[in-house]
Amino acid sequence: MSQEIISTPSPKGGRNLVLRLKAPLLIFFVALFLYFLAGRMDNFSVPGQLGPFFWPKAILIFLMISCGIKGLEIAFSPSPGPGSAASEISRPDVHYPRLIYLIALVLGVVLATQTIGFPLANFFFLWLFMFAAGMRQKLYLLTTSLIGTIILLYLFVKVVYLPLPRGYWFFEDLTLFFYRILRII
Amino acid sequence: MLGQLDYLWIGLINTFDPLNFSMITLGLIIGVFAGALPGITMLNAIVLVLPFTYLMGIVPALLLMIGIYCGGVFAGSITGILFNIPGDPMNIPTTWEGYQLNKKGFVSKALGMAIITAAIGGFLSALIMTIASPPFAKVALTFSSAEYFAVVFLGLSSVVVIGTRSIGSALISLFIGILLGTIGMDDIYGVPRFSFGSRILETGINFVVVLIGLFAIGEVLEQLTMKGKEVGKLARTRPKTQLPSFMELWGLRNTILRGLGVGVIVGAIPGAGATVASFVSYGVEKQVSKHPEKFGTGVWEGLVSSETAISGSTGGAMIPLLTLGIPGSGATAVMMGAFLLHGVQPGPLLFTKTPEAVYTIFVGMLVCNLIMILAGLFTARFFSELMRVPEIMLGAFIITFCLIGAFALRNDMADVWFMALFGILGFFMRRYALPIPPLILGIILGPMAESYFLTTMIGERNDWSIFFRRPVSGCLLIISVGLLVMPFFRNLRKKGKEIRT
Repeated sequence: MSQEIISTPSPKGGRNLVLRLKAPLLIFFVALFLYFLAGRMDNFSVPGQLGPFFWPKAILIFLMISCGIKGLEIAFSPSPGPGSAASEISRPDVHYPRLIYLIALVLGVVLATQTIGFPLANFFFLWLFMFAAGMRQKLYLLTTSLIGTIILLYLFVKVVYLPLPRGYWFFEDLTLFFYRILRII
Repeated sequence: MLGQLDYLWIGLINTFDPLNFSMITLGLIIGVFAGALPGITMLNAIVLVLPFTYLMGIVPALLLMIGIYCGGVFAGSITGILFNIPGDPMNIPTTWEGYQLNKKGFVSKALGMAIITAAIGGFLSALIMTIASPPFAKVALTFSSAEYFAVVFLGLSSVVVIGTRSIGSALISLFIGILLGTIGMDDIYGVPRFSFGSRILETGINFVVVLIGLFAIGEVLEQLTMKGKEVGKLARTRPKTQLPSFMELWGLRNTILRGLGVGVIVGAIPGAGATVASFVSYGVEKQVSKHPEKFGTGVWEGLVSSETAISGSTGGAMIPLLTLGIPGSGATAVMMGAFLLHGVQPGPLLFTKTPEAVYTIFVGMLVCNLIMILAGLFTARFFSELMRVPEIMLGAFIITFCLIGAFALRNDMADVWFMALFGILGFFMRRYALPIPPLILGIILGPMAESYFLTTMIGERNDWSIFFRRPVSGCLLIISVGLLVMPFFRNLRKKGKEIRT
């Protein structure tokens, strides 16, 4: 797991403080919203007992208090303290285009697994993921994606009998076709 | 009634059952490779196999995870010694000394010393666990829901205090985890909470899905998107491992015993784990050393203290898990997930209802640490090859395994969607330095805390003083409050000193 990095000093300013407080403020208001929502959902009062919504509401109150504690830590730290939002400035820079692409791929493979089936979705995912992360050798991409997908299918569908998604409509037939060619079913 | 020795004998026979033994061996192999590869980590490996353990019985499932746990905690030292790249943060002190010993020409002996002292620490801590757990469980049987709530509360408080620099961040993470645990049908009243009419949310968010997403996917996203990441140079060597002699080990006996003691005690504290044990033991050894200035230049005591404490923490962390149902570390929190997946509640009743299973786990852990020596001896030389596997490829396959693992839980794509979303959340939590372990323990321990709390309140007609009228519960709650409040006083004292100077 990655470690927190000791942050470098940065000048204190009102605008900087607000920026550093944005994360705890956001969490605070979300917690407040959920608290009122819980109050509206709480139609199950039991006489003489605390009821089912006592605990979530108590936790939301503690969460808001925690945001307050975090806000005080940020406000009274002479420099962006460890754990503060501004400490990300001192963390290694993120390759944001690659991050967005990888996040889109992760979400995309979940959607694709549902719609076009696991074999096709996984093959394209492995290819595109490794390509996005910097791998450029096409033969390597093709063989790794293909062999990796086949091994996973044998392992989980044939050996473990896991009913991995086959997709819808035409893709379901295609998936079954692949399974028959590979002697998985 | 069979005695403890009889159950140990049954445990020994069960451990050498072909399925159980193969799970230990498989777990060790997975653990050693996962623990040695930076970015994978032993914890991720346990998380990844967790959903698949649903397909097997509880004992083989736990033996598999114990194998990964024992193998993984020491394996990070191998790449640390060879390439100056610790496989896990817990192996950093070993790397400090081990790589320097490597540069001095003692690479084979350093590998051998790390393996043997890790095996000794793990074996002895498993022995302590075997001896200490049954009487501890007997005491735990006298606990009511008030005491259990106090124990869980202590576990949650310890997570906040230990190993985090920002109390506010840890508390936020913890309460988010507890809140996530409230989604779905309430256990006491059977009422849907925060489900918004959704069938998917009514079944709750499976904590395994949260685990896989936050740890595995979040880590992969971070590793592959960091700019200018340094990678250690790989030596083109295939070093042999040379085991230390008995006299060499005897000369380090005090260091080994200190490391073991620190490991077991720190490991038993919920939220502490092997990383804290490793650094505390290293620090203690440096304090008692006659030549503390030599630490960091290749000192055997530094390497041995760290490795013994790391493996010593494994047995310590299992004690609260098995006797109280409170995980002592992140890895045991995941193992608790294995218990819950199989519908088994860890705790003192395990010792009365299924003693054979418990003693099989004890013996399995003892055997695991012995086999670990062989695993370490034969895998060390192959690491220089394994490290050549591109991180990109490893990351892609990890995500694929996560997808399959999340689906395997309930054959429901909703779990896969949650896993992906929590994976993205895991990346941003790391980015904004929100610690993840408190969230995980919150989502696991939160429902337990609620159940014990409400059960107590219902039984005592909302009389809150019951928690302090019962001595064990009262003491534990006072300790917990102390742990929560202590950091604030510490910071105030620090600020006072700064102002005075």
